[in-house]
Amino acid sequence: MAKELVAMLLAGGQGSRLYALTQKLAKPAVPFGGKYRIIDFPLSNCVNSGIDTVGILTQYQPLVLNEYIGNGQPWDLDRLYGGVHVLPPYQKASGSDWYKGTANAIYQNIAFIERYDPQYVIILSGDQICKQDYSDFLEFHKSKGAEFSVAVMEVPWEEASRFGLMVADENDKITEFQEKPKEPKSNLASMGIYIFNWDILKKYLVEDEADPNSENDFGNNIIPNLLRDNRDMYAYHFNGYWKDVGTIPSLWEANMEVLDPEHSGINLFDENWKIYSRNSGMTGHRVAENAIVEDSMITDGCNIKGTVKHSILFAGVTVEEGAVVEDAVIMGHSTIKAGAVVTHCIVAEHAVIGEHAVVGAKPEGDGVGEVATIASNVTIGANAKIGPDAMVYEDVKEGGEQ
Amino acid sequence: MINSKAEALGIIFPNSYDSLVPDLVSERLMASIPFASRYRMCDFMLSSMAQSGIDNISVIVRKNYHSLLDHLGTGREWDLVRKNGGLNIVPPFAQKQVKMFEGRVEALESIRGFLKKQQEKYVILSDANIAMNFDFTELLDAHIKSGADVTMMYRKQEIPESLKKLGRDKMELYYSFGMNGDRVSKIYINPGEDGEMNFSLNIYVVERERLIKMVDEGYLHGCTYFVRDILDKQIDSLDVRGYCYDGYAACIFDTKSYFEENLKLLQEENLNALFSGNQIHTKIRDDNPTRYINGSCVKNVMVADGCVIEGEVENSVLFRGVHVGKGAKVKNCVLMQDTIVQQNASVEYVITDKNVTITEGRSLTGNDSYQVYVAKGQLV
Repeated sequence: MAKELVAMLLAGGQGSRLYALTQKLAKPAVPFGGKYRIIDFPLSNCVNSGIDTVGILTQYQPLVLNEYIGNGQPWDLDRLYGGVHVLPPYQKASGSDWYKGTANAIYQNIAFIERYDPQYVIILSGDQICKQDYSDFLEFHKSKGAEFSVAVMEVPWEEASRFGLMVADENDKITEFQEKPKEPKSNLASMGIYIFNWDILKKYLVEDEADPNSENDFGNNIIPNLLRDNRDMYAYHFNGYWKDVGTIPSLWEANMEVLDPEHSGINLFDENWKIYSRNSGMTGHRVAENAIVEDSMITDGCNIKGTVKHSILFAGVTVEEGAVVEDAVIMGHSTIKAGAVVTHCIVAEHAVIGEHAVVGAKPEGDGVGEVATIASNVTIGANAKIGPDAMVYEDVKEGGEQ
Repeated sequence: MINSKAEALGIIFPNSYDSLVPDLVSERLMASIPFASRYRMCDFMLSSMAQSGIDNISVIVRKNYHSLLDHLGTGREWDLVRKNGGLNIVPPFAQKQVKMFEGRVEALESIRGFLKKQQEKYVILSDANIAMNFDFTELLDAHIKSGADVTMMYRKQEIPESLKKLGRDKMELYYSFGMNGDRVSKIYINPGEDGEMNFSLNIYVVERERLIKMVDEGYLHGCTYFVRDILDKQIDSLDVRGYCYDGYAACIFDTKSYFEENLKLLQEENLNALFSGNQIHTKIRDDNPTRYINGSCVKNVMVADGCVIEGEVENSVLFRGVHVGKGAKVKNCVLMQDTIVQQNASVEYVITDKNVTITEGRSLTGNDSYQVYVAKGQLV
């Protein structure tokens, strides 16, 4: 039986601008929002949209991601036919290759897609925070009779030159594509989410592979080639919450926006569009007698005896007596020891902040500013001082500064 | 074969002591009573068994078991999905038995064919009214080492007052042991005396073939209860041993003990004692993290995921999806899943079952010796 639509999720990115957070794990596996990882968003979108076949293309540090995806059960993607498949590069009779680019990653898995004989393929990005109904996107694609559609967001004109831009006519038909242009002709930024008719995608992937000068990239090669051939290309307007959490400040900011769903538009409390994840299985969190918790999100297994303000605590975080956590993102199983002050920062998983240590500081003036970051499994010694712009990869001794 | 699993299968009786908590079991059974912010009572026994290598567990249900079936599913959450063994839920076999089974003898007789076919050498039997985190291999090793016919778990404690009362009123059976070394020399049925006793936890281990034989004989002689009608009668000829459990156990004997055992977990040492061993698994609900909105004030609470807290909460246990509105006050309460306490409402010494709504401005107060219980789905 053929599938109407197969999703291919690009999850091989290193996320090099997340520095300390992506040393040992791929960007899609970076924790987000108290109990999720970034990849939970596209995966949950798939399931909620009725897509039951997802190929996940991995390459960089796949260990955590592979274990996390497992058989796909947390997302209801453990299916007899279809379901979720992790697709790393593999060896073939004719040799083997890493994924050279986004298009090449799909090219190397043409055989996977053909097994389901789909009419359409949706290409998703594993490093965005976004709640989106892909079935609505597919309806648009069909109603336009498109061969290729791209989801676009309106961005402020002054920021437009940071994005790949689609120039479209009044019928949403794409007439031009500008990659990070100095003089933007449009403010419709590509979200990197595409729907192709499978026969078209396959044709262009094969042609692209045959071109020795190609970078094998969707944005740089496939889309320009489609335009060159005057294919039926349409821009699908999306106006929900969308954030590319590619940098430490943007990741921090997106987490803070979760705390204020009424204004930010990212609502994780939506019964009709649940974001699924692999749960910690820990007991309910505990707030002690003298603790203070204000304007925060706290996950199962936390033990709070200090003060937590405007912060996100992942599963199993301990905040000891007298410790103060403010404007911070504290990932799973980390410990903030007594008297430590942790402000405006990201602390990755299994880190220990020593007694009376100081991490990060509020930036002067408005804006996100610098966000101090502590890598996973790092121990910050007692009384150490970690500056607001620090990126800490290794243990810091007692009283040390960074 | 590599010995990765215990040489025992487990049998759990989820309806035992239902009559002690009539409110809580009006739409469920003992095993599916919510406990400790996100669990059901049976999670503790299932998780303890599964993580002790017991991966063949039968749950012999008697009545009111819809909620339990919903909760257990295929047993995946406890890692009990197996081609051989795994979780096996046994409903009453209506055509075979005219009347519902009463005691363990009849219940075990009803699964005789199943028991006969299993491979495990031993059987561990248990109720589901105790939340504990126990390594069953210790019990099994002790049993094997002693060569006893039956080894029974007990705990040195006073008999709960409610049990004494209900033992008289409703003929619920409970036991304590007279010990001679580690041998059980005497079984006291429904003892009424005060003071510390060797209180039976109704968990025992016995060889499978032996169990089948005992049940067969007992059934023929019209026996109902395994301990009262078989073990007690043969206590001199059988080698029955005791295994003293001195770890943490939360036993539910009435609504008050249910309330108190929940609140006891607010003390860190109790919480750690119950949860620091094996991980206790439960059905996943995929709730978002709990959100504390500006103006909330919480002290000494245990709160599961999925809650939204805008008001004041003190000395309470909140299950998944509870909403405490602005200006609302919650003190000394156990609020089960999806309870809503609307704006400026106030509850003190209250147990709300699932999906209860306390409407705006209303107040409901019990006290430390009697808690107000609000049944499932009620609007106050």
